[in-house]
Amino acid sequence: MSLRRQCYEWRNISDGIKPSFLNGYPVNSVGDVNTTGFLANQPVDIFIGDIGNNIDIPGQLKAYQYIVLDSVAVFPPTLHAQIYVGTTKYFQDPDNVPSRDGGLDGFAIPFPNGATWTNSAGSNINLINTVFADGLKPALIIQPGQVWGVEVTSSVDVPTISNTATEQQIQKCFVKYLLIDGGDSIVAKRLLDAGWPLTVENVWKYKQDILKTHIYAGLAPLPTEVVKAKRKV
Amino acid sequence: MAIRKQIYTWELQGDGGDGTDTTYYPRGGQSHSILYGDFGAVQAGKQTGLVKEDQFVVIEKIACTPGISANSYLVQGVAPNVNLVKWLPNMFVNIVIDTTNYYQDPQNVYGVGVSGTASSYPKEIEALPYYELWPPVYVLPHQTVDIRYTLYNDITLSAGAGVWNTIPTTTMLAAVYVEYTLYDGSDAMMAQKLMQLGIPITVGTVENYRRLLLENKGLETDTFNHYLKLMESERKREEKEMKTQGVARYMHYSSED
Repeated sequence: MSLRRQCYEWRNISDGIKPSFLNGYPVNSVGDVNTTGFLANQPVDIFIGDIGNNIDIPGQLKAYQYIVLDSVAVFPPTLHAQIYVGTTKYFQDPDNVPSRDGGLDGFAIPFPNGATWTNSAGSNINLINTVFADGLKPALIIQPGQVWGVEVTSSVDVPTISNTATEQQIQKCFVKYLLIDGGDSIVAKRLLDAGWPLTVENVWKYKQDILKTHIYAGLAPLPTEVVKAKRKV
Repeated sequence: MAIRKQIYTWELQGDGGDGTDTTYYPRGGQSHSILYGDFGAVQAGKQTGLVKEDQFVVIEKIACTPGISANSYLVQGVAPNVNLVKWLPNMFVNIVIDTTNYYQDPQNVYGVGVSGTASSYPKEIEALPYYELWPPVYVLPHQTVDIRYTLYNDITLSAGAGVWNTIPTTTMLAAVYVEYTLYDGSDAMMAQKLMQLGIPITVGTVENYRRLLLENKGLETDTFNHYLKLMESERKREEKEMKTQGVARYMHYSSED
C-alpha cells in the first residue's frame, strides 16, 4: 500500500474538560457536544494547535515519504485555511505577504462540498466549491523531512459552546492528500527530478517503464567486453 | 461473470425500543466490522472478507452516513410517543487488509478513516462528491479485507437524555457503502499479471489483456519483436562460436561461408 489517498479532518470539538483531544475524536451524545472557542484572526494549527482534535507531533515526512497535498476545505464560511511547509505559507496577498485573512475561506472551499449554511438573513445556502473543485492545481508537493501543516483562522470570534453545539456551530477543516511511501517514493523522486507532475498515473507509468526496461534487460545480449573476455576455463 | 461490479452496504436501523440496549447498539469510539461485527445488518454467517485464490478485488469507493453533532437529531410525535426519525452518527470508516489499516494520520500512526461528512452515503442532492478513493485499493488472493466503522455519537448515552421514547425500526441510524470490482477465475489471473507489470487494474485493462491473449500476441508486440531479434542474434553468435571452435557441422555453413 505505497500509494494511498489519505485525509485528516479537524473539528473544534472537545471532551468538555480540555480544549483539545489527542489522537482521535471525543465521544459525544445528545446534550454533550462541546466546542472550544478561539479569537478572530488567531491562527490555529489543526495538528498541534491545542484546540479540537489534535495529534502528538506536527506532520513531518519520513525519509521515504512524499505527500501530494491536493485539497483543503473548511466550514463555516468565516473560517480560512492556510497551508504551510516549513516556514513558508502557501496563500499570499498580491503584495507577496502571507494572506492576512489566513488563506482561503469557506465560501471558496466549503466542507463538505455543497454544505448547507444559514446566513445572517436566515436563508439556507448550499455552498459549492467552484474555485478548487478538483483540488489545488498544481498540487503542493511536500518532500521527505519537511514539516507541514494547516492553520485555520476565523474572521469572527468563535465562541466556546458547552454541551449544546449543533451541526452548523462546529468549525471544521478537511485536508486530502496522496501519501507516497516505500519504493514508490523513489519513483516520485525520479519523476520530480525529471520535472514530471507527481500524479498516481505518472507513478504507475514510470513503474511500467521500469518493468519493461527490466524485461528487455533480461533478454539483451551481454556487453561486448563480457562476450570478448578471455575464457577462464 | 468473471468481472463483476459489487456493492455491499451495511445499515444500523432502530430496534423499536428506546435506544438503551447496549447489545443492539455499538458504543461510541469502538470500531466494528461491517462484515462480521456484532451490530447492524452484517452477513448472516459472519464470514470474514477472505479473498479466494482465484479472486482479485479492487475497492473503489467507501462512504458512510454524514453528520457530526449529536444535538442535530430530529424527533416526531408527542410524549410518550416521541420517535427518533433522524440521527447523525459522527462516523468514520476504514479499510483493513490483513493487519494493516489503510488510513493513517499525519504522524504516521493509525487513523480512524474517512468521515461520512467527507464521503457521504446516502448521497444527497446538495452533497457533491468531495473525497474519492483514488488510487483504488487492491486486495490480493489469500488476503483478508475488512471494512470497519467507528461511531463517535453514542446512541445509548443519548437515549439517557430522554429526548425520545422510541427509535423505530424504520429509522436508519448509520450506514456504510462499499463499491468494488470482483475479478474471479481467469480474470483474476490476468489481474495479477497486470499488477506484476505495473499496469493499473481496471475493467478496461483486463479486457484489453484478454483480447491480446486471444489474438495470440502476448501483452504487446514490441516485447515479442525485441525477443525475436535477440534470439536471432544469439543464434548467429552461437554459430560463429561453433565455427571458431571447430565443432560446427555442415548445416551451420551456408553459401556465404
